[in-house]
Parts: sequence; C-alpha cells; structure tokens
Amino acid sequence: MKKVLIIGGGGGGLILANHLDPKNYDITVVDKSEKHYYQPWFLYIAFKGSKRKIWKPIDSLLKPGVTFVKDEITKIDLDERKVYGSQKAIYNYDYIIIATGTSPDPDSIPGLRSVYNQYGDYHSSVENSMKLWEHIKSFKGGTIAIGQASTTCKCPPSLLEGAFLLEEHLREKGLKDKSKIKFFTPYPRAYSAEPMNRVAEPLVNERGIEVITFFDVDTVDPKNQTINSIEGESIKYDLPIIVPPCKGTRINIVPEKVQDEERFIKSDKYSMKIEGYDDAFAVGDVNNLPTSKTGVTAHLEAMAVANIIQGKQDQFSGRINCPFDMGYGKATFVIADYKNPVVPYPPTRFKHFMKMSMARIYWMTLKGTADFIFEPYFEHTTPEKLSQKFK
Amino acid sequence: MDAVKIVDSRGSACPGPITDLAKAYRNSKVGDVFELWATDKGVKPDAEAWAKKTGNEILEAREDPDKIVIKIKINKR
Repeated sequence: MKKVLIIGGGGGGLILANHLDPKNYDITVVDKSEKHYYQPWFLYIAFKGSKRKIWKPIDSLLKPGVTFVKDEITKIDLDERKVYGSQKAIYNYDYIIIATGTSPDPDSIPGLRSVYNQYGDYHSSVENSMKLWEHIKSFKGGTIAIGQASTTCKCPPSLLEGAFLLEEHLREKGLKDKSKIKFFTPYPRAYSAEPMNRVAEPLVNERGIEVITFFDVDTVDPKNQTINSIEGESIKYDLPIIVPPCKGTRINIVPEKVQDEERFIKSDKYSMKIEGYDDAFAVGDVNNLPTSKTGVTAHLEAMAVANIIQGKQDQFSGRINCPFDMGYGKATFVIADYKNPVVPYPPTRFKHFMKMSMARIYWMTLKGTADFIFEPYFEHTTPEKLSQKFK
Repeated sequence: MDAVKIVDSRGSACPGPITDLAKAYRNSKVGDVFELWATDKGVKPDAEAWAKKTGNEILEAREDPDKIVIKIKINKR
C-alpha cells in the first residue's frame, strides 16, 4: 500500500487526507499541534469580542483509517524521501504533501515585535486576537492605524474587513467623532484588486476611513508611536493594528532551492507539485502560487492533489472565493481564477449570512461531507458567469 | 551593458504585479534599474502612480506582443 505523508493538519492537509481512500492508501497526518483552528473567526474575536469556540482536535476531523501523529517536523529531505521529527522519529513516504501554512514574522520589521507583543493582531492566533480586542474595547478616542506590514499577507479582504468592523464598533460606542481610522496599504488603492476596489472604495469614503496608499512598512517606532514606510511617509497612532508579514515554513527542506527567499515552496500552479518532483506537493498558504493565501485555495488545491495522487485527471483553476465582511451585516465574495480577474460583486445581507454559516459548515468541509453544497456553488459562481452580470 | 534585473510578473492578475514591484522596491537601493514584466493591463497606470508617489522614475513603458515592460530606476529609497 502506498504511503501518503501529510505535513500539517490545517485546512489543506485535512481535506486532502479525507479525500483519499484509506482502503487504498496508508495515510498519515503530522502536526505539531493537536488542535485545528477556524482562522477566519479571529476577525470576530478581535473586533467584536466573540467568545465562540473555534477549534477541534485534529484527530476528530479525520475519517476512520487515517492516522494522526503529533510531532514537530524539523527536516524534510525530498531526495532521500525522509522526514525527520523532533523525537528522532523518521518517516518515509511514497507521496508527501507539505501543508504547513505560514508563520507570522514580526521580527523582519524593526520595531514591530514589541508592538505585536503588546497589541496582538487578528491573523495569527486566538490569544493575539483577544489581546487586540482588549485594546479596542478600552479605546476612548484618537487615531487608529490599521493595515498590513508588507505585501506578503494572508487573506487579502481581511485588511479592510478589520477597518470596516472597527468603524462599526466606534460608531456603536459613540466614539466616531473622537477618533480617526487610518488604513495603510502597500497597494495603489483601498482594496488591492482594482475591480473589487470599485465596490469597496465608496464604502470606505462614506464611512470616513482615511486611506494611505503605497505605504509599505519599513519600521515601527513604539516610543514615538509612529509607523514609517519605505516610500518615506509616517503615520502617528494612538492604537496600532499591524498585521505582520508572513513567511513560509520554518522546516529545513532539502534541497533548499525549492523554497523562495520568503521560504514559500515553489510549486506548479496547476498540479501543486514541488518544482522538480513528482511525488511531492505543497498545498495551501505554504506554496508560492500566484493566487491569494486563503482557505478556499487550500481547499481546492487539496481536492485536485487528492485526484492527481489517485490517478485522476485534475488541476487547480486558481479559483478564489474569499468572503469579505463590509460591516453593518453585509458581505461579498472576492471571486476570480487564473483566467479571469476579480469580479466587482456587490455586498448583500444574504452573502453575510453565507459567511456566518461557514463557521458551522466549515467542519463538514474538512471532512468532505459538505462537498454536495460546494460543488454546485462553485459551478454556479464561476468568475466567467458572474462577470456577465457584474461589470 | 549591465544586465538589467527582471521582475517577472507575467501571468499574475491585479494586484500581482504591484506586489512584485513592492517586493523589488523593498530589496532595492538607489541607482538600481529593473524591468517589471507583466501581462495584466492595469500594471501601467499602477506603476505610474507608484513612481509619482515614491519619487522613482519610469525610464520606459512599452507593450511587447507578449508582455508589458516597465523599466524602473530607483532614485529614492
């Protein structure tokens, strides 16, 4: 029986494991943590103080016959087909899938570490999101600077989502007149992809959120409470909300050349095969595909890799489908693929309901028991179809 | 002639080319010259807005049959 070794029990790793047949494959998932988190909910912990439980044990999310091992992998040798764990355990494989996601890297920007430790963020953990909520909850007025520290960042809509939910919070608390939201971005516009900006920008303006474009963070100065950009501008803040840059895997991978300078793994954009290898794949945020780092790409890449391993014809289309909360109970989805640019899809209350429902359905998506909902959904909402209607 | 560094963003959709441009700018120094290659039509106005905001220079912006080439000189960093 062929051995499939999956490194990482996040969305990509679990969906892949659950879409292989354990009668035909010996499947093992390895993760350093035994918990799996629903990361999109960090937003609601940080900006609404949500106390929802957003994790489940990884082994409860795997179908019978799939093995889970809690171990921290230190080295993956793709030439020798050997994987080294922290307890000197050595794993071998016929197929390996690296699905370790990203890790936040606040140390790559001078001054960011102390701000990150003090204020938290809403991208990296429950603890950090709770920390940020404590600061937002006790905020009494002043300038809040919010944005991404570099272009390498997960979930593109989440940046403006934070600004929108923050504005909603300040208005509810009667603090709107006493405060100012400054949204900084390394891009030329509030939403990075131009067609979605046409939807988002009027809302940004209407809500009095100031946008500072082409602002790529160079340094943070906690003493003088300023954020300075490579482009030469500064923002003075009372409360900083800075999403740190993210990097690929910290695991030592042999050969080194399969990783780019930010440690993302160079992979084929259709097959997710690691450059130069037929038996090794990188799925989800850890690869360098020219698409967004988001749950849906990990999901669809994992489905394609499961088919490829099982000898079926398949490829990843580059489809993204990122839920985008625009505040006040409305949301939209950022939809595109390799062939079609983002659709300017307007926000509605129904799409917000869909985004909220995802927090429940999510666990089924991991197990594959919600495929009957998603397959027709993806089919009905292809960017080709939507772009006929929304221009 | 010195070899000009190529930032290849062909095949990536908006905002991919600007992501690649921002990364190249982060790793650049004054005097560097590089070419940004893209297939996304939006790259030209975005690169022009970027140059204006950052005080850097677009030496050339041309459309080849297979790509758009923006040649950039870093004057400020």
